[in-house]
Amino acid sequence: MKVSYYPGCSLESTGKAYDRSARAVCGALGVEVQEVKEWVCCGSSAGLKTSRVKSTALAGMNLALLEKEEPSDVVAPCPFCFRRLASAQQEMREDPKLKAEVQEAIEAELGDRLEIHNLVDFLRVKIGLGPIAARIEKPLIGLKVVPYYGCFMVKPRQVTRCDDAENPVSMDEILATLGAEVLDWDFKTECCGAGLSLSKTEKVVELSGRIVREAIFRGADAIVVACQLCQANLDMRQRQAARQEGKSYALPIIYFTELMGLAFGLAPEALGLNHHLVDPLALLKNKGLIG
Amino acid sequence: MTRLNGAAAEKDFLARVVEESGQNLTACIQCGKCSGGCPIASAEVGGPRRLIARIQYGQKRQALEDPTWWYCVACGTCMTRCPVEINMYRVATALCEIAEREGVAPSEPDIHLFEELFVKSVERHGRANELRVVAAFNLRTRHPFKDLGSGLTLMRKGAISPGEMLKGSRTDERTTRLFARLQRKGTEDGR
Repeated sequence: MKVSYYPGCSLESTGKAYDRSARAVCGALGVEVQEVKEWVCCGSSAGLKTSRVKSTALAGMNLALLEKEEPSDVVAPCPFCFRRLASAQQEMREDPKLKAEVQEAIEAELGDRLEIHNLVDFLRVKIGLGPIAARIEKPLIGLKVVPYYGCFMVKPRQVTRCDDAENPVSMDEILATLGAEVLDWDFKTECCGAGLSLSKTEKVVELSGRIVREAIFRGADAIVVACQLCQANLDMRQRQAARQEGKSYALPIIYFTELMGLAFGLAPEALGLNHHLVDPLALLKNKGLIG
Repeated sequence: MTRLNGAAAEKDFLARVVEESGQNLTACIQCGKCSGGCPIASAEVGGPRRLIARIQYGQKRQALEDPTWWYCVACGTCMTRCPVEINMYRVATALCEIAEREGVAPSEPDIHLFEELFVKSVERHGRANELRVVAAFNLRTRHPFKDLGSGLTLMRKGAISPGEMLKGSRTDERTTRLFARLQRKGTEDGR
């Protein structure tokens, strides 16, 4: 199977480990990933806040580029990019005036044949648990994890089409298939503070801190994520949160694709597991999951 | 305390926000589920329920200066739980555009600065160069060494590289042209 791949800006920079592991896992599952040529930023949360027409036009520019590619399935690992592209598509479908305005601004006609997927649902639904199970070489026995979905992949449900935005299970099912022990918890879709990381750091320390605290309370060895912004916030801000409480946290924040790759027998470095602030390698060695 | 007198200007503001956001704020029953689940709601910031009340009452200045929509991270929790499915990040965009047009000073200058630098980066380069945006923000807010420790560790681990800062200096005519065209059109339409 061949899909168009929209990495987005973060995956070229702070989210390289996600990009690397996503491509590696897709490759291992026989999915041919074709990066869309000459893509531009989707506008992110800053674009979305400041101008409706600009952010829709940026998404529209990418949709036009994606339509030039042969596959109609599009995979966007970054949950914000995923939601922005899917949302722009939906908004233009419902509002022909907006679509006309965007088409004029980007000097291109837009069709409507693309299906935009986030990476978790793509692997869970389009590929399925069977092929994932069949690819496992080293099951993740003994690893206790809490899956953290964050916001943009699931909410608002009217945009993401998520079955259950309060209690999504797709990542739980993938992790359980890999052999990990998936713990129950209430913070699957609580916000980490997202784009306020820099401008309102204290808010992100508070929000990310309570997620890490809860995961530790549940006895998790690691939080598993599907978003590079969640990864960065939880990884980077947990130390400040711990300091405020007079404690010390060192909870690894790992991409679900890194764990898939590990279970598939791929090298930790090829997955970017050596790139995180809180080192997951010691934990994984300790559990006998890497040599 | 603002007295409401049902003036045309008050009704007009509500109608404008409803139209520009595409969200029917008149359907809001003030149940408060939105603020109950909102990650940024607090005594200081307020939250979506109070912001909608201000718009419903035509309290234009209070609404445009309300920190809630600056803080909004577009998480979508409020819309997911709202009984009448109001999408508040669409309301945030509408208020941001109206405030900009009417020259209302941002009540949260740091959030505004970050978003402005980010969008500028996209306009010039087609893609956001995250490290440059971070560096520019820290310099402009006079905290040049903010998060330096984490940054250096990430560099040592090969997660980010200083070379990325240089890579993003290539300009992208497509986005520059797109923004210029929309700017021009916005001015013509009186937006």
